[in-house]
Amino acid sequence: MSRAARLIAIGWRHHVRNLTASRFFVVTSVFLPILLSTVAFFMFRAGAREGTLLYASLGAGVMGIWSSTLFGSGGAISWARREGTLEVLVVSPAGYFWVLLPQTIATASIGLYSLVATLVWGRLLFGVPFAIAHPLAFVVSIPVTVLGLGMLGLLMASTFVLYRHANALSNMLEFPVLFVSGLLVPLSALPVWVRPVGWLLAPTWGMRAVRAAALGGNPWPPMGVTVGLAGAYLTLGALFLRLFLRLARERATLALT
Amino acid sequence: MTAPVIEVEGLRRTYRVSTGAVRRRTLEVEAVRGISFSVGEGELFGLLGPNGAGKTTTIKMLITLLVPTSGTARVLGFDVVRQSREVRKRIGYVFGGDRGLYDRLSGLDNLRYFAELYGVPPREQKRRIFELLDLVGLNGREGERVEGYSRGMRQRLHVARGLLHDPPVVFLDEPTIGVDPVGARELRATMAALVSAGKTVLLTTHYMFEADALCNRIAVIAKGQIVAEGSPSALKAMVTDGVVVELEAYDPPPGGADALRRVPGVARVTVEERDQAQLFVVQAAAGFEGTPELIAALGDARLTRVATREPTLEDAYVALVEGASG
Amino acid sequence: MTSAPAMTGARATLRVCLVGGLISYRALFNWISPALYIPTMLLGPVFQILFFVYLGRFVQLRDDSFFVVGNAVQISGMSGVYAGVMAIANERQFQTLSALLASPANRPALFIGRALPVIANGLIVSAWGFGVSALLLHFRPAASSLAPLALVVLVSVVSCTAWGLTLGSLGMRFRDVFMIANLAYYLMWVFCGVNLPESALPTAMVWIGRALPMTHGIQAAREIAAGGSLGGAAGLIGVELGIAAAYLVAALLLFRLFELEGKRRATLEQA
Repeated sequence: MSRAARLIAIGWRHHVRNLTASRFFVVTSVFLPILLSTVAFFMFRAGAREGTLLYASLGAGVMGIWSSTLFGSGGAISWARREGTLEVLVVSPAGYFWVLLPQTIATASIGLYSLVATLVWGRLLFGVPFAIAHPLAFVVSIPVTVLGLGMLGLLMASTFVLYRHANALSNMLEFPVLFVSGLLVPLSALPVWVRPVGWLLAPTWGMRAVRAAALGGNPWPPMGVTVGLAGAYLTLGALFLRLFLRLARERATLALT
Repeated sequence: MTAPVIEVEGLRRTYRVSTGAVRRRTLEVEAVRGISFSVGEGELFGLLGPNGAGKTTTIKMLITLLVPTSGTARVLGFDVVRQSREVRKRIGYVFGGDRGLYDRLSGLDNLRYFAELYGVPPREQKRRIFELLDLVGLNGREGERVEGYSRGMRQRLHVARGLLHDPPVVFLDEPTIGVDPVGARELRATMAALVSAGKTVLLTTHYMFEADALCNRIAVIAKGQIVAEGSPSALKAMVTDGVVVELEAYDPPPGGADALRRVPGVARVTVEERDQAQLFVVQAAAGFEGTPELIAALGDARLTRVATREPTLEDAYVALVEGASG
Repeated sequence: MTSAPAMTGARATLRVCLVGGLISYRALFNWISPALYIPTMLLGPVFQILFFVYLGRFVQLRDDSFFVVGNAVQISGMSGVYAGVMAIANERQFQTLSALLASPANRPALFIGRALPVIANGLIVSAWGFGVSALLLHFRPAASSLAPLALVVLVSVVSCTAWGLTLGSLGMRFRDVFMIANLAYYLMWVFCGVNLPESALPTAMVWIGRALPMTHGIQAAREIAAGGSLGGAAGLIGVELGIAAAYLVAALLLFRLFELEGKRRATLEQA
């Protein structure tokens, strides 16, 4: 196994174990998607628009992945700062990029649970039909979406190195991305100024791919865009991290005090 | 002396500090103001100084966590700013306190993860980890969660983490802070073992006895500057080759210290506050006979103890640090 | 130590209440700096309002003002719930709880003093939410309804804070109080009718919602924003006040109970 693959695999395992050892994280990520999707289900069911429960279910599921990613990547740096591990990780020979990359993938993939939970919850309590138009494409679209969200998390986290209050930023970014990337409301129903922003966000395309795979349509082009954006985020994130770590060494923002 | 492993020349670091929520003012604080020293291979070099003297800032510049404002520093010939990757591969960093570990995971999990980040070859990881657990005496406790560890155990785990990749140079930043006396003694034994294993160690501490017992050479740092450098015995000799007279007094007259300073033969007087009394530590020339004059100088004060003793490194240190601020 | 006789009962109580409250608020809410306040309290809530208004339009559930009012009142509760919890839980984390309990200060005054800055903050956040909605979403309540609206928000924040204090008191006994607070906060989203009319919820959920703070406040705010008079909404406001009082009493009782228990078991400082 190459060094990079090992670092990702072992880092992923480490961060999944570290996160799931936190009762706070586990309870929050178990219940939050269920609560969010409950609100969404009730709103869709009571609304005048018809036949959209699976649509809501998928949207709420991806929302959960995003919450987990944001919580994980925004939290990653502020926790590390609080635990005092940030400095140790930054001076490790592997470099902080190889810590953050597996960590964001780990939080995004933990978020996968929320998609499953939302679908099951919807099926059990609201009788949401689980009829998938293109099962194969659906199975592929999910990890692709997780990857896109994870890399967006990485890009955001890379800028958090400089910002001591990363947690607040990640709190703030929850709704903007939910809003702008059309997870429950399609982009076409949003204000015009929002759309170009949405096109730049991987969740928008990941969501389109998942929906097309489940409800019908061609899921492959949006999946391609998601992968492309993920690659762009990864590159930018790596560059930012280099630049900002250098700045952090000059401005002394790595330590808590 | 062997070739220098750590070379520091004119190192400076200033911080910008903003104060005030409404009208923000930016202040420049000079944490380290132009220090130079070098550490040879296999040496245990001590940076000794009070809190806020600039010890940690210095170490952070050497381990590539902070960029110096000016000056240069090289570790094993690599520049800490331009060749930080090369430096990181070759150094271990251990700091005091109970932070810096994954509390919810076991000691073994912590070491496994860092072994990967430190590039320990996969085949060697297990052997290396257990070697280190042995060295720091955590064998048998590695499966427990770190949150259940005592302060001393955490500190030993820190040491093991810092040594995973067998670095030739080790930086120890106040490693015994907050550790109970027995644990601290064990840690000191581990540090001594590092030097016997041929490693170069830079240690910061504010415990004089620790520096005295472990270090080949010591630099005393105060207010961001090195005020003295040399072997522990040389430092002691530098400040006093005389005697120390300690006077513990209740209700001493105001200006008692000044009165003591006027006694012939007295080189230096420091005052320590005890509960309700004051302890005057008088450093005087060798063969000093003026103890009665000292007692007289304190006038009506109630003296509870008067003692004469040999100078210790602590006297030297206090004198140097106070000299820097005076 | 005896307190100075010059500081007589009422004045001392007021001082503990006001000054003590402000100081501890700033100490505990160390995130109240512009860098934290703007994203958490101002920008995040705006997108929350936008999100639900557009979702409401898409599913064709209710008009914009239903969601504007629901969310603008709800965001004011956010600081209340967390502040109530933090006031007690953080105090314990920073190990100042014992010192506080040992002080001769009037405890209810201390409690309420802590809540005052939070209530002020809730009003600001809510006003901001309504203001931005007026700009971005053409939310236009009658000018005459502004003062009653402020009153309803005030009452809702008070009851949310009382609820937060109740949860915070639980924190003296249970370790993961922030987790409880988080869940409690999110549960309010489901049960309090922030984005859902009662008709959309099963009866059991409606009843749970009625026992929670903010539910009646949001309903009153909606009536007023739609042009109703303060008198018409008085019943709802009264119920909300009653709920606030009930939670405040619960908070004080729990605080007392766990304090006594903690003294007996000496577990207060166990982090």
